[in-house]
Amino acid sequence: MLCEKCKKRTATVFYNENINGKTRAYSLCGECAAKLREKGDLQDITSMIGTFADPFSELHDNLFGGFFGLPTQMSVPAEKKCGTCGCSYSDIARDGRVGCAECYTVFSNELSRMIQSVHGTTTHTGKIPARHRAQQERARKLENLKKSMKDAITNEDFERAAALRDEIRQMESEGTKKEEE
Amino acid sequence: MAWYNTTGQSADTVISSRVRLARNINGYPFVSRLDANGANEIIEKVSIPLDASGFRKINFADLSPIMATSYVERHYVSPEFATKESPHALFLMEQQGIAVMVCEEDHLRIQSILPGLALEEAYKNASNTEKRLDEDFDFSYSEQLGYLTHCPTNLGTGMRASVMMFLPALTRAGYMNSLANQLSKLGLTVRGLFGEGSGTAGYMYQISNQITLGITEEETLKKMNDAIRQISESEQKARKAITGDALERLSDHILRSEGILKYAYMISSSEFIKLFADVRFGIALGIVSNITYEQLGTLLVEAMPATLTLSSENTPKGESARDKLRAQKIQNILNKK
Repeated sequence: MLCEKCKKRTATVFYNENINGKTRAYSLCGECAAKLREKGDLQDITSMIGTFADPFSELHDNLFGGFFGLPTQMSVPAEKKCGTCGCSYSDIARDGRVGCAECYTVFSNELSRMIQSVHGTTTHTGKIPARHRAQQERARKLENLKKSMKDAITNEDFERAAALRDEIRQMESEGTKKEEE
Repeated sequence: MAWYNTTGQSADTVISSRVRLARNINGYPFVSRLDANGANEIIEKVSIPLDASGFRKINFADLSPIMATSYVERHYVSPEFATKESPHALFLMEQQGIAVMVCEEDHLRIQSILPGLALEEAYKNASNTEKRLDEDFDFSYSEQLGYLTHCPTNLGTGMRASVMMFLPALTRAGYMNSLANQLSKLGLTVRGLFGEGSGTAGYMYQISNQITLGITEEETLKKMNDAIRQISESEQKARKAITGDALERLSDHILRSEGILKYAYMISSSEFIKLFADVRFGIALGIVSNITYEQLGTLLVEAMPATLTLSSENTPKGESARDKLRAQKIQNILNKK
């Protein structure tokens, strides 16, 4: 498929724009996409499929003159999608609900403002599930042991530092074993 | 005995207390993106520990609409749950007032409903069931946001505590709007039950917490309890303020309602709600003496359309037949001593 802008190079960048619910698919070559990106019309390169860097893109741009550009108000960044459930932020905004637990990580920036405005905070203080409780406590203990080991070294108490190191190693290897299980 | 057949603490102003915990299971998309296989798999998996704990499984996919609605009328499931098309199931321990909706908005909605003001006990019930499930399932959780829920408004504890209050005097005195404003400043909401528009036909309101993140379960329960106590006190004051001619007129109105409830030949469900509210107010004021809160509570479920229809051997045909059946049902229950 040829790039729909220059109609010369092969299209390697595909993205959908969504303006007020109207979607349109674009197929662009790397150079045209890069140019758009420079202009700020295509901000989120990470969510695009099949992007290839072309070292000659600038040369191409010089040869073929200025970029034709999409009208600014018509262009939006390619929509990021959750890799687990395929949900986009506009899906979330439309439904008022996320697609899966992973969406909270993928769209953490977009959601944090909304969460803050609903709850007045973004930090949980309530109950912790049993299996996370153990993990959180273990992480905290490991952190303390590491700190104690550093202190022991500073105080030249190498015997104690060695004992602490062994304890840390044992905890870490237990953790790895558990993860493997 | 179910929650609606009995009365609890502060029965004059509080009908019931409910606590629900929203939980999701890792490895599955949230319900709106979950296919039928995934939903059935979750139902099957949770049924193992829930069966063992004594829950009765009700597969809603196989249920007739009337049966499904009767669970809504008993407040064990939401209206949205009753009308869903994808696989969903209810696990119920009616005596203890514990219900687990599987594949409602979240994978699991663990709730406990009890008569009167009993938020701590309801929380304990829901929490014990949740603890049992926590042993077998990896709930979606993040250190930062707490329990991860389908809707971000439930993030954090995933807990919604709600109390169904009976506030006739505050409603009649026109205080409900200002009460709603005050409650919203505390992060609580008030919603009218029954009656269209104003939602005040039955003088019944659901007070619940709005915020679930950055607040512990215990803090939420305390905040709710404090608010409910204050609202109860205000209601009691407003009741005492009804005196003289106003009280005479109110007494006449209430006793007329009692008469209709006891002797009418046909009663529609909307009329029933009004009569119910008048008579309940009458019991609180000492005007009605030979009807109990327990009888009225039973009616609040058994006189509702679906439950009423199911209780009859011959399905009533048409509205008139149902209204006649309702009047008979009411009189049967009120005559039981």
